[in-house]
Amino acid sequence: MVKIFIDEMPLEVEEGTTVLKAAEKAGISIPHLCYHDAFPPEGSCRMCLVEIEGLPKLELACSTQVREGMKVSTRSEKVVEARKGVLEFLLAEHPLDCPICDKAGECKLQDYYDEYGLFESQFNEHKEKRAKKVKIGKNLIHDQERCILCRRCVRFLREAIKTQELGVFERGIHSSVNIYDLTPVNNNYSGNLAQICPVGAITDLDFRFKTRTWFLDKGESICPLCSRGCSIIIEYHPGNYRFGVTKKVYRIQANTNQEVNSFWICDLGRYGYSYLNENRLDRIIVNREEWHLEPARKSVIKFLGKRLESLASGGKTSRIALILNSWLSNEELFLLHKIFKNDLNAGKVFFADPPQEEGDDFLLTPERSPNKRGAREMGFDIKPVDFKALAEETDVIVVFGSFLAEADLKSALKKIETKVLFSSHVSGLNSLFDIVLPTPLIAEKGGSLTNVDGRVQKFSAVLDPPGDSLPEWRLLAELGREAGINVSFYKEFTSPEDISEEIGKEISFFRVEE
Amino acid sequence: MQEKLLTRHFGLENFFKIDEYLKQGGYQAVKKALEMKPDEILEEVKKANLRGRGGAGFPAGVKWGFVPKVDKPKYLCVNADEGEPGTFKDRYIMSHNPHLLLEGIIITSYCVGIHSAYIYIRGEYEAVALRLEGAIAEAHEKGFIGKDILKSGFDLDVVVHRGAGAYICGEETALLESLEGKRGNPRLKPPFPASVGLFNCPTVINNVETVSNIPLIILNGADWFVEKGLPKDGGTRIFGVSGMVEKPGIYELPIGTSLKDIIYKHAGGMKKGKKLKAVIPGGMSAPVLKADEIDIKMDFDSLVEVESMLGSAAIIVIDTGTSMFDVLKAVTKFYYHESCGQCTPCRIGTSWINKIVKRMDEGKGRKKDIDNILRLASNILGKTLCPLGDAAAMPILSITRKFRKELESRL
Repeated sequence: MVKIFIDEMPLEVEEGTTVLKAAEKAGISIPHLCYHDAFPPEGSCRMCLVEIEGLPKLELACSTQVREGMKVSTRSEKVVEARKGVLEFLLAEHPLDCPICDKAGECKLQDYYDEYGLFESQFNEHKEKRAKKVKIGKNLIHDQERCILCRRCVRFLREAIKTQELGVFERGIHSSVNIYDLTPVNNNYSGNLAQICPVGAITDLDFRFKTRTWFLDKGESICPLCSRGCSIIIEYHPGNYRFGVTKKVYRIQANTNQEVNSFWICDLGRYGYSYLNENRLDRIIVNREEWHLEPARKSVIKFLGKRLESLASGGKTSRIALILNSWLSNEELFLLHKIFKNDLNAGKVFFADPPQEEGDDFLLTPERSPNKRGAREMGFDIKPVDFKALAEETDVIVVFGSFLAEADLKSALKKIETKVLFSSHVSGLNSLFDIVLPTPLIAEKGGSLTNVDGRVQKFSAVLDPPGDSLPEWRLLAELGREAGINVSFYKEFTSPEDISEEIGKEISFFRVEE
Repeated sequence: MQEKLLTRHFGLENFFKIDEYLKQGGYQAVKKALEMKPDEILEEVKKANLRGRGGAGFPAGVKWGFVPKVDKPKYLCVNADEGEPGTFKDRYIMSHNPHLLLEGIIITSYCVGIHSAYIYIRGEYEAVALRLEGAIAEAHEKGFIGKDILKSGFDLDVVVHRGAGAYICGEETALLESLEGKRGNPRLKPPFPASVGLFNCPTVINNVETVSNIPLIILNGADWFVEKGLPKDGGTRIFGVSGMVEKPGIYELPIGTSLKDIIYKHAGGMKKGKKLKAVIPGGMSAPVLKADEIDIKMDFDSLVEVESMLGSAAIIVIDTGTSMFDVLKAVTKFYYHESCGQCTPCRIGTSWINKIVKRMDEGKGRKKDIDNILRLASNILGKTLCPLGDAAAMPILSITRKFRKELESRL
């Protein structure tokens, strides 16, 4: 450990720490544009200059390592002047088009001007004219006038993805970032470029001109589109009744998670969010009028519970079929295992997941669902649906998700007396079932998922689930009670945490090391 | 007449050829050095107080001493980029005395434990590069370069690499990038090239003139060398005089010779009818001196005292018929053109100042412009990633401060 002083505040940090990181620890943020935690210091923006006692020149906070007894000043007159000077240079050549810039509101240059700049412009010359709309990738537009040449994008493609599509061309004031030989950025991680651009130079066609960042609320979640379990930030407009704006997700961004995805997510996860907005099922459907069943959670769960109970008391649980998927959380899979395997010993348990696709050697896995590992560790044997077996000797079928093809299911379901579907979306399947219960997506509920490497990660609700949707774990706890076999066990569970505590007790894989 | 060391045989026909060079006692230093221990050579060079001739004046022996004793290849890069405006001394050494440079390279490499040396020469010096390659081939044939040099067991290869015409590639880390085949942008220091240099290996980078002094130190000893110059700044310097003097050219003189003497005694004084106005004493990036400031010794420390620098010892003599605004214009245009664009203050600062000066030149100057130039240059000075920013800011600041009245007449 090394003892240093930052703005006279004594501080102990590990040897090898940079001044920037040490200051961060002390709650002092030193402005920086080119530095990014993912890469070694670049030292080109010159925003992070600080004064170090005994040194004649200002030094870079991003690259200077602490030394015993070092006295750093991040707010001295000299530092403040230098910062202003750098900002003045950057803004001299930067277009002042914040009102039409997507980055406004989350732009570091804008923030720093507000915090450290606030000067009258002394620039009486013509700004350089450059290309404003270069399509550098399938979803990316580069505005060379807004670019401050921090080279984060260049370094990301060179050091993280190693595809190297971008470079700096020309020199001096004419320097510009561009693609080589008109070969656009066309990899599955291109969306990260718009995110790491500290200004509005790289904008995302998916987001461009659609909303303003300050209208968006944000929440942390886990990407469910493959089994990597990348940490994400969901950004959504909460809706505004007065202006007729409905609640809508506008953007998925990478969240920092050193253990899983560091700072990045793939384009599949970034752009594949329409399932959160579109065709959502928001009410309970009862298709059998003759049952005179009120389409409400209580009555429907009670009805299903009674059906299961009667099969159990008649010794006919082998006539129960269950189709699951690995979008269900650990907690939900645990309850399902308890109810249908332990309590009822259901005859048929299948899994219906989106089919495997190609993965890559970075983040994307071939599995297109988030919790296959969790299902396996929970004790499930993950078997695909055997439609022939399903059609024979089944009285009750409970299906989760809508990943099956309508045509496949239709004939298999024909002879089954009671058919219940838990689904988050409106789909052709809904009309094949007697009862359909709307369910929330990962972004709309709490729980945990087990990623491909066996890492159990918690998540909580970012968005309100649509309409009457209720998380499966809640419905299952209720169903467990209604099925009447192990009633007291299911009474305990009023939150996903209650369930995961129980999982830890029962299954060593999920035990949390104290 | 002053004793010449590096330029002694410049007048001899065919001196650049190895036979003539050997006839005049060439390669004796290599023979002597290969019989010495590397540490003895290092001690001798350190004692000689040989300071870098490229511009920064860092002691060569100390630089070599920084090379860690690790099990990695080590490299020598001879900086022959010679891009500093006004400077042309290395070109003369390389074309007239290439074998002296090669001797220096062999001894330096032997001392530091280097088996691959590169001469990074500016692209414009095509003829010089060819001459160097010829010299290397000759030395190879005679067994001074290659495998088992003079049966000492020491191997060395020397390669000439031509630059592509960027001033920035004379900056040592940009030179390394360029030599590695990349865009010539300076690297962030530390780490310094001595520990992480070419291909991430320990690397010594020295200027042509610096390396060419090594054989002389080995042959004659450190004490002799120090005597030729100043105690803390040994040897001679090759002053390149250009501008309004009678006899522009290179003059090898002891370090510490007065600037006044160089101009008036050695270079023949001002051209007929011309009057001295200003002198840039160390290449274009050195702060300018006014006519009444030239009574000064030409060594690193003396020039620092008058807030200028010895730099590459290229002396540019400016007469009263030359407009200082035109000098400023040339300076700002050069650095604007040569800024690599990597860091903010240099990229935008040099361009901004150039835009102001250009506007002034078009007769659209404003009252605030001079103060603005001073302010902007100060915001570049000391705040850039590599010394190019300082190299641009220093002459701009000094010209603007010292000749403000003349510049204001352009508003």
